[in-house]
Amino acid sequence: MDKKINQINNKVIDISDKISDNYTEKIDLKVENLIPETNAVNSISEEKDSNYWRSFRELYNDPDFIREKKNEFMPGALDKPDANSLSLFSRRKFLALLSASAAVAASGCSNFRDKGEFISYNKKPESVTVGNPTYFASTCTGCNSACGIIIKTIEGRPIKVDGNPDHPVSKGKICSIAQASVMSLYDPERLKNPIEVADKNSVNGKDIIWGDADDKIISILKNAVSSGKEIAIVSQTINSPSLKKLLTEDFTKAYPTSKVYSYELISDSNKNSAYEKCYGAKTFPVVHLEKANVILALESDFLGTDENKVENSRLYSERRDAFNGSEFNRLYTVEGNTSVTGMNADYRIILRTDAIEEFVMCLLNEFVSKERISGFGSDAGVSAKLQNYKLEEFISKNNISKEVVEYLIGDLKKNQGSSFVTAGSMLPESTHIAVNLLNEVLGNTKLYDKEILNVEQIPLSTKSEIETLVSNLKSGKVGAVIHLDSNPVFHLASDYGYADALKNIPNVISITESQNESSAMSNYVLPINSMFESWGDFQNRNNFMSLQQPVISPLYNTRQKEEILLTWIKGNKSEFNIDIYHKYLMDNWKATVLKSSGDENNNDGQFMKEWYAALNDGVVSGETVLTVSGAAVLTAASTGFKSEAVSNCNFNLKPGNDFILILNRSTSIGDGRYANNGWLQELPKPISRIVWDNFAAISVQTSKALNLKSDDKINITTQGGKLEVPVFVQPGVAEGVIAIELGYGRSACGIVGKDVGVNANKLISKNATISQWMYNDAKIEKTSDTYELVSTQEHYAFDEPLLKDIQYKREIIQEGTYLQYKEHPHFLHDRHTKYSEEETKKLKVGSINEQYVHTGTKWGMVIDLNKCIGCNDCAAACNVENNIPIVGKDQVKANREMHWIRIDRYYSGTPEVPKASFQPMLCQHCDFAPCENVCPVAATTHSADGINGMAYNRCVGTRYCSNNCPYKVRRFNYFNFRDRFRDSVQQEESYSLMANPEVTVRSRGVMEKCTFCIQRIMDERQMAIQENRNVIGTNVKTACQEACNTSAIYFGDQNDKESELYKLNHSTLAYSVLEEIKVKPNVIYLAKLRNVFEIEKEETHH
Amino acid sequence: MSLDSTYTRELPLVEGKPTFKDIDNVIILPTETKPTKGWWIAFGISSSALMLGGFCLALTFYYGIGMWGNNQPVGWAFDIINFVFWIGIGHAGTLISAILYLFRQKWRTGIARFAEAMTIFAVMTAGIFPIIHTGRPWLAGYLLPLPNQNGVWVNFSSPLLWDVFAVSTYFTISFLFWGMGLIPDLATMRDRTTSKIKKTIYSVLSLGWTNSNRNWSNYERAYLILAGISTPLVLSVHTIVSFDFAVSVIPGWHTTIFPPYFVAGAIFSGFGMVSTILILVRKVFNMEHIITIGHLEKMNKILLATGMMVGYAYAMEFFIAWYSGNTFEQFVFINRAFGPYAWAYWIMVSCNVIFPQLFWSKKVRTSIPITLILVILVNVGMWFERFVIIVTSLHRDFLPSSWAMYTPTLVDIGLLIGSFGMFFTLLLLFLKVLPLVSISEIKGVMDGAQPTIHPHPHKSNSNGHH
Repeated sequence: MDKKINQINNKVIDISDKISDNYTEKIDLKVENLIPETNAVNSISEEKDSNYWRSFRELYNDPDFIREKKNEFMPGALDKPDANSLSLFSRRKFLALLSASAAVAASGCSNFRDKGEFISYNKKPESVTVGNPTYFASTCTGCNSACGIIIKTIEGRPIKVDGNPDHPVSKGKICSIAQASVMSLYDPERLKNPIEVADKNSVNGKDIIWGDADDKIISILKNAVSSGKEIAIVSQTINSPSLKKLLTEDFTKAYPTSKVYSYELISDSNKNSAYEKCYGAKTFPVVHLEKANVILALESDFLGTDENKVENSRLYSERRDAFNGSEFNRLYTVEGNTSVTGMNADYRIILRTDAIEEFVMCLLNEFVSKERISGFGSDAGVSAKLQNYKLEEFISKNNISKEVVEYLIGDLKKNQGSSFVTAGSMLPESTHIAVNLLNEVLGNTKLYDKEILNVEQIPLSTKSEIETLVSNLKSGKVGAVIHLDSNPVFHLASDYGYADALKNIPNVISITESQNESSAMSNYVLPINSMFESWGDFQNRNNFMSLQQPVISPLYNTRQKEEILLTWIKGNKSEFNIDIYHKYLMDNWKATVLKSSGDENNNDGQFMKEWYAALNDGVVSGETVLTVSGAAVLTAASTGFKSEAVSNCNFNLKPGNDFILILNRSTSIGDGRYANNGWLQELPKPISRIVWDNFAAISVQTSKALNLKSDDKINITTQGGKLEVPVFVQPGVAEGVIAIELGYGRSACGIVGKDVGVNANKLISKNATISQWMYNDAKIEKTSDTYELVSTQEHYAFDEPLLKDIQYKREIIQEGTYLQYKEHPHFLHDRHTKYSEEETKKLKVGSINEQYVHTGTKWGMVIDLNKCIGCNDCAAACNVENNIPIVGKDQVKANREMHWIRIDRYYSGTPEVPKASFQPMLCQHCDFAPCENVCPVAATTHSADGINGMAYNRCVGTRYCSNNCPYKVRRFNYFNFRDRFRDSVQQEESYSLMANPEVTVRSRGVMEKCTFCIQRIMDERQMAIQENRNVIGTNVKTACQEACNTSAIYFGDQNDKESELYKLNHSTLAYSVLEEIKVKPNVIYLAKLRNVFEIEKEETHH
Repeated sequence: MSLDSTYTRELPLVEGKPTFKDIDNVIILPTETKPTKGWWIAFGISSSALMLGGFCLALTFYYGIGMWGNNQPVGWAFDIINFVFWIGIGHAGTLISAILYLFRQKWRTGIARFAEAMTIFAVMTAGIFPIIHTGRPWLAGYLLPLPNQNGVWVNFSSPLLWDVFAVSTYFTISFLFWGMGLIPDLATMRDRTTSKIKKTIYSVLSLGWTNSNRNWSNYERAYLILAGISTPLVLSVHTIVSFDFAVSVIPGWHTTIFPPYFVAGAIFSGFGMVSTILILVRKVFNMEHIITIGHLEKMNKILLATGMMVGYAYAMEFFIAWYSGNTFEQFVFINRAFGPYAWAYWIMVSCNVIFPQLFWSKKVRTSIPITLILVILVNVGMWFERFVIIVTSLHRDFLPSSWAMYTPTLVDIGLLIGSFGMFFTLLLLFLKVLPLVSISEIKGVMDGAQPTIHPHPHKSNSNGHH
């Protein structure tokens, strides 16, 4: 028996051995072969073996035992379990109950909502690779500039917006509003369903379904038409040709009593109307700023807040590159406020804003009458206007630098035809006429593009049109008002009385993304798609059009505004389908833009090809567009300067005795539309560095005279109204000037933007004597109240002897003059060299650290301070790319803002006449990073390619690294800011879709900082491995670099000797901040050259 | 030596010629009697303070370090100020028990036990701060070099890690030293007590002490060895704490003078705290004859000496700032003395350098009320010294764009109060549980306890040195 068992065992062992040796195919594994022997074992085992027994029962052959032995299991073990018959704590009962409760929990507690068809990524959509981003070209509708954008989506979620390089205006760059717009897409407070407010006085409406809303509104509109009442459509600028067609053709056809009104809170209307008077064309032309050797900006923030700032700053900075061979331009500004443009100027004349017109007239008089430049001297009408303006008198009266004015006159005279004078949009028409004349006199119209024109689809409504609207509202002539993605209650001058008039209207329909002041007064609030969910086309210039396409299906139960209108046009709710406007747009394009591209048979296939190409590019330009759109405008093209514009103009703007109030466009939140966007609210204002507020900027002189300090509240009274507003003493503001940003103080807004700042729109008057944005009759009185303004940068007294020019003394900011550089390109480095080369070698102290030699890639960055204008767009882009939380005003006050890149603004000079220097500051990724050696847990370490990395998981948060960082660029999560800020709004579900999945979302207690966009570097490294090549430095673009409007940021491999980075790194202007502490930073700055007449910069003598 | 014997004769270390029994009675009395009303009041205050600290700590753990005033650029503030302050306080005990022991300074016996206990409690209090100051204190274990699956090791070049080792070593050695010194006294208490429970506890703690010659000779040897080990620790702990600052690149921190300066400051503050409490304790427990005015005077002399060392360091920092020609360094010191935190700087200078100069006068040195005021000022001054070093250096460092002011929050102040609460609660418990003066050592320095060699006035050779 033993033998047989052994045999079987051996066989089994044999098999398993062979299996493990992969000889399975040779072995006969048929079970039958084993069975007979197995049976034999059974039969044998029944024989009693007196030498081998397990129990007495076996030994004595107990029959029960023999029977039991035949069964493998105990009796009952194979019965089906019955939970009731089991004991309370039996294993089976426990498992049964566990599985049952798990099943109940799984089915009962799920939050499943039917969202239609889900397609998992195992059925891969075309062009999508899981984990890889997909890019779509579209158009930004953040303001009416309609810049081309490229939207980066990951698995269907838009997570980043950058400029579309093919777009002729923005050329791959974009402003901070567009950067931050993804936050508005995922704003949890967007409207999610149509709302009907039965009683307009009650705030709470109830959600209704779209069909009902359509039905009711269509009948309202039909009633209005049948009773002959007007349907007023109030919109902001309409720059979409298809929407224009929809409104002016189709909607008017369906509802003949409808009328479209459009407005802007801030517009170039004065500039355009002046241009029309001077030249006949309706809009100010496109200017080749890059050709201007001298630019004179009069209260104009063309680099900061103007609509065209993306293009302007690009063109301007092309002439601020010390290495591209072009000469520097020279920027003069004359301003009362402190703008980004002014703070970048080579010469800045501080002048009350209402004295600017006089200044221009004086200049004109100088050129026309004295210098006899141009033929206008003989024009009696013109010279009559000019003769009373004496420059000498003006200079002494306003106490401005005669020297600088002489430089300016000399420069303008010398650069006739290659200079440009621009005036701010808040200046009155008369000033713009004078400026037009000045440009004409100097021959600067040569810089105006003769082919490309700015076009308006629907001109903005004039003051009288809006007045008519209001009176119609009041008199009951209006049957329905439709707010088409607009907020007139907030934006329109309060003396129109629009809000009051609206109360008379029984049917107010607001079509809007989220609740606003106007929707709060409406019966129907219809939620619309964001720009990421919409179709559209836009045209601001005659030579190209841009397209907008949805990149995500609507997150909520929203419709695109055009879809809503189209449904109403068709007059039946069932006409709606999700493609309704898409088709309309395509049809319109087929009929107009891409008409000539189709073949003779009007083949759809050909059109679709062109259409997809257009969608792919985002823009269409060329002949077709020109002929389609520009035709009407071109006929009105400029015909030469009409001098009667000047002779008929009343140049009566004189400096008043009261304060002058200027109302500016906000540097961050636009006209208030973006008030609920925390990223934008927390973006520091470029000059004051203040966040989360607007304020009245006053001059140092005024503050002394009226005994005002920053944070004091004042009452401002103008003809427009009265407003209590906190004061900020802003160095560089002209005496008597008060500047306030518009768009703040939203009262009906989401939790983020509600009541942030004060609503300065209230100060706008429709009957403004000078201009809507400028009042020189402002009276101010101090109140006993104070209000705390917070900024991201300490405002220390920069005129104290100890602190004066400290940024120069410490060589944080190194500057020179352009002339100095021309004469002596090595001036910057020679400035430091006191010893000969040989002596230097002798003096050179070795480092006790062994320098690691980065032989492969070594990442580095160069920031050209000549190009950097301090606009903050890089910071906005960084926020989005790197999932940077909003911390809120209280935490900024506690100096805990989280921005990885910041623009340091340093003043020099005096508080009355300051100069500013900007310096983007981010982690310098030092070779000898002082943060690294002090971290006790080695959470921050250096990589072989020169990056100072952070292992968030390892960080315990001692903050030692931050203390030891000389640049103070590390950021600590003092709280879980997402949880802390505004009732945890950032933890809302929708915001989690916004996060860039490539970047860890940090929680409390962790240190973080700029990573040089390590995720992008890793992408490139992965590509390099896939393609079996070396990493190419220029393939990586950091978020800040991509966003920089002026291309001041260069990034790449410092060891790549061919790269531009390498050349700039070793250029004559390169320096690193705090060089002497020998941390060896890898961010190199190029010294700023001021294009002034002095050879050497005075501040550098120390 | 040409000094006569009357000059060199030491004052008796125990006054009033008490018997050994009297000593036992006086010292052990507080542990055998019910707490007085005064003790309860003191305990009530200190434990309330401790609970306030606990509450503030709970808030910090729940919400985050943001409950404090720390910010960018002032990443460390009250947390590390308190840490350095308490570690400094913890220096007097070991200095008195170890270094003075090695130097055969017999006057130390009256105050050594108490100072050692203070050391332990101060180090315990201090030890809390490095852990709670981290953003994620639940990961504080990462600071220990424990092998782990990730193969991540601590960073041995970080002074913060050295702190972990230095402080834990210091605490361990101080605790052993203190505990060992207690053995003969615990045995005395064991022999005195009639309570069974107490007898058991004292028996266990006194480790079978029999007062035998063998016991004593082992004890003395072990005590000497521990004193030898402790002595370098007195110097090393605060040296290493000072490295937290000296190793950095921050102007105002990056200074070679820091190690000796910190050690001097630590001894200064430690003695200040010991004096403060002793003055009260000797009064409350009727131990004026054991902890005599002579003790206090000697401590005041040390305060004067170390205070001047600290003053020298303050002056030297300024001198080096000027002498180095380093603009950052110069700015930091001008900013310290005349900048927005000048008030803190001048509190520091006056409390630590100017006021202790009064100790030159014997009248002041031997006046209990004036001494009490001055030593409290020393405590205040030394806390502000750490405030000045940490906050004023950080708040305006290299880049003016990052400058900012630091303001503590209520939670910060609560934690500071809580740290005092913890220290005093432990101290009050100690006073009621253990003999606050070493009975055996006191007995050893009493008049007549040791065979005395009476010095005979004689003319020694002129170049004789001892």
